[in-house]
Amino acid sequence: VSQAPELFDLRVKARSLAYLFAAGALMTVLTLALPHDEAVMDAQLAAVGAAALVVAVGLYLLAAHVTRRHLHIVLAVGTAMVGLANHYTGTTALYPLVFSWAVLYAFYFFTLREALAHVALVAVTYAVLLVEQDPTSPAVRWLLAVGTPVTAGVLISRMLARLARETMHAEERERTLRQNEAHTRQVLDSAPDAFITLDRDGIIRIWNTAAEQVFGWAADEAVGNPMRELVVPPELRARHDERRLSLLDSEQATASETYEVEFVRRDGSRFPAEAKVSKVTVRDEVFAAGFVRDISEHLRREEEREILVREQAARAEAERVAEMVSGMQLLVDAALAHRTLEDIIADLVIRVRGVLDATSASIFMVEESGLVLRATSEGMPKDDGTDPRDNPFAARVASLREPILLSAPARDDLPHPGLDTPEVDSMIGVPLLAEGEVTGVLVVCASAPRHFDSEDLGLLRLAADRVALAIDHARVYQREHRIAETLQRSLLPERLPQLPGLSVAARYLPAAAEAEVGGDWYDVLPTPGGGVGLVMGDVAGKGLAAASMVGRLRSALRAYALEGHPPARVVEQLNRLTWTEGDESQMTTLLYVVVDAAENTVRWVNAGHLPPLLVVGDRLPHFLEGGGSVPLGVLPFPAFEEVSVRMEPGSTVVLYTDGLVEFPGRHIDVGMEKLAEVVRYAPTDPEELCDHVLLSLVPGGGAPDDVALLALRSLPMVDRFDVDFPTAPESLASMRALLRRWLRHAESSDRETAEIITACGEAATNTIEHAGGGGGAPFVISGRLNGHEVEITVRDSGAWRAPRAGDHGRGISLMEALMDSVEVTPTPEGTTVRMTRSLGRAQGNGEQP
Amino acid sequence: VTDLVNLDIEQQGEIVIAHLSGELDIAGAGRIGEQIGESVPASARGLVVDFSALEFIDSSGIAMLFGLARRLGSRRQELRVVAPAGEPVLRVLQIVEFDRAARIHQSVDEALAALAQD
Repeated sequence: VSQAPELFDLRVKARSLAYLFAAGALMTVLTLALPHDEAVMDAQLAAVGAAALVVAVGLYLLAAHVTRRHLHIVLAVGTAMVGLANHYTGTTALYPLVFSWAVLYAFYFFTLREALAHVALVAVTYAVLLVEQDPTSPAVRWLLAVGTPVTAGVLISRMLARLARETMHAEERERTLRQNEAHTRQVLDSAPDAFITLDRDGIIRIWNTAAEQVFGWAADEAVGNPMRELVVPPELRARHDERRLSLLDSEQATASETYEVEFVRRDGSRFPAEAKVSKVTVRDEVFAAGFVRDISEHLRREEEREILVREQAARAEAERVAEMVSGMQLLVDAALAHRTLEDIIADLVIRVRGVLDATSASIFMVEESGLVLRATSEGMPKDDGTDPRDNPFAARVASLREPILLSAPARDDLPHPGLDTPEVDSMIGVPLLAEGEVTGVLVVCASAPRHFDSEDLGLLRLAADRVALAIDHARVYQREHRIAETLQRSLLPERLPQLPGLSVAARYLPAAAEAEVGGDWYDVLPTPGGGVGLVMGDVAGKGLAAASMVGRLRSALRAYALEGHPPARVVEQLNRLTWTEGDESQMTTLLYVVVDAAENTVRWVNAGHLPPLLVVGDRLPHFLEGGGSVPLGVLPFPAFEEVSVRMEPGSTVVLYTDGLVEFPGRHIDVGMEKLAEVVRYAPTDPEELCDHVLLSLVPGGGAPDDVALLALRSLPMVDRFDVDFPTAPESLASMRALLRRWLRHAESSDRETAEIITACGEAATNTIEHAGGGGGAPFVISGRLNGHEVEITVRDSGAWRAPRAGDHGRGISLMEALMDSVEVTPTPEGTTVRMTRSLGRAQGNGEQP
Repeated sequence: VTDLVNLDIEQQGEIVIAHLSGELDIAGAGRIGEQIGESVPASARGLVVDFSALEFIDSSGIAMLFGLARRLGSRRQELRVVAPAGEPVLRVLQIVEFDRAARIHQSVDEALAALAQD
């Protein structure tokens, strides 16, 4: 298979031969220079020596260029020249040595066979010389006797040594080779991919373990056979050859290619593979060396991954659609109720954008001036001179009354100047229809990678239905709500009356999820005699019917109460009203409470309403049970009973509707207990109390039902007070009530109280009379209790007129008669009347009958 | 409109009786005075103004009373006022010396009896 390795390179061999020739030449010189026999032909010998020298020099100089063949020729020539030298020298015995060197050289530098050939040549030359010269000479005999066995011995030993060395080298080389091969083999076999080499004819040369596994053919079955027959599918064989040859014949020394091909296994099954093939050149022979990898698993995994990705995408898409559909619910949910149309539209576009995963959503509304952009999810465009109302796309949708899906829209079609065309590459416009009429257009834009398709068109149509519905609801709601609001405002007192010695606050919370006006109402009204009436009522039902009933009841109650009827009578009359006028669905509960602060009493009549709460100090508030009866309007003549308890200054009465204590899943008693608990620790000021109660019981400000709350506190009396009154005759009763109450606090006797009140009334009357009924600035009554002396001041902002003689002159004389002192101080800003009276002693200038 | 004062007119033979209750001040005095004046026909012998249920009276009420006294006096009709002792109303009437204009009785019956004797 392989040649013996060269131990020396040709240059060394050539130079060694040159030395041999030089030695020959030196020997001729020595022969000629030493005294010698005449038989020696000097001239010829010198010529041979010169030739030998020329050869030596030439060989030395040209050593780099000699070939093996040159060496053989030169050595043979050398043998001939030694023969000639012998011939010209006669019997000189030196030359056989040179022969021996030649032989030695041959053995040393050539193969055994070549060396033997040279020995043969030397032997022939030597034999010719012996025959030519005297065979019987003693030199010849000596040489034959000694030289031949020595030479033979040297030759044989050389030969044996050479043989042994060559054997050893061969073995070692083979071992190394085998080791290398085994190593390579191991490497190749452990390679994960099949490794195959083919020669130019496509015959398999190497077939590693992986190849055995991949193809099912064992190495010894494969090697030596053409690959195309073994594993290449018939239809691919031509291409196989073509590719192999084009690779191996390529100009480049190391070309390499990667192919995706198909192979056949031993069992006939086919598999896809990737082959990386390289051109390899080994000693002029080219091979195709390639790794083959079975990529069916890889492809399968790839495919699986692709399927997975597709599945995921499909699932994501399905989820997106599901989300969109459930998102549709967002478009009509309750959160949209109770708001202005404008708010709703602004909210809807944001929601539509989210639900459809769009870039932008806009709503155009049909208005008198045409189609007007009313909301976009980007906010309304600033008015920059361009009229955003002229949107040809929306106009087209409105006139077609059908949805339009637009790919690559024109700049003008975009609803918002903040949007631009390359960015928006698809848009959908859907008409908003209410009862067959186009009320608006919903326009949605998408940017890559989102692109609207017909499926989105369906979704948007769905969305548009809901948007249209929401807008329609909003419009109806808005209309109703406006009426309801107006009504509600008219039904509840705009502001509560300011009552001397009393502090009152009220709250009304409409139900969180109701569009309609509720049937709850409250009222606060002064009653004849200085009391204050508190009303808390609840008409069943909602809406305009309930509201109008509330309106009638409220007016009627005020009228009856101001006529001075006692509470039970007032409620009876209201019952008559509801019995005759209301329908049975409008069952009404009513609580009418009259607080008489001067008398420190609270009276009430309860027609089916929740009991009021009385708060005294920080004790647990108690509900004012009793005085209960059926609601209004259920019986023609129910008995309404008036109940009265004391109400000390500093205590508070709280009225409320069921919305405050009734919550789903909670018994009303629990709610009431909770209310009592909350009120107990609430601030005493009625405003703060109301806030505290609502915050505690209606967190978040939204109750399932309307909530009305009213709190009145009878202020604790102190040693001084300053109260404003309108300058009108109606103020006098309130003023007297206040004074009566304060004087009771001052422990004034009934008579003293009556007299002081009369005196104050005179001062106030004078003020009112002179104000001419024009109202204007209020007058102020101040009270001071200095020990046992009561000091009362009436201040007005008008000029004091001296009481006229006659009827009205009696006022001042009454004051003077009833009080200890009366001072009238007129100033440019007004007049002050200051009166004092000591308590607890008989009045000096009055006589008891 | 707040009606602090209530008026009930009663006629007993030739005598008209006006029962007042509540509080009589400038807010109601003028109107009440008119009503009482109109309720006394020319044929009536006299008028009894009953203050026994009146809780409060001020100078406006007194003025009304003096007005009635003048009116009746001009028609020669008798005016009597009922104001029970110990009540604030009587105290006021005394201070303004109303007893100079008309007699004051403790009760309606007493007033009627006095009128019958005349």
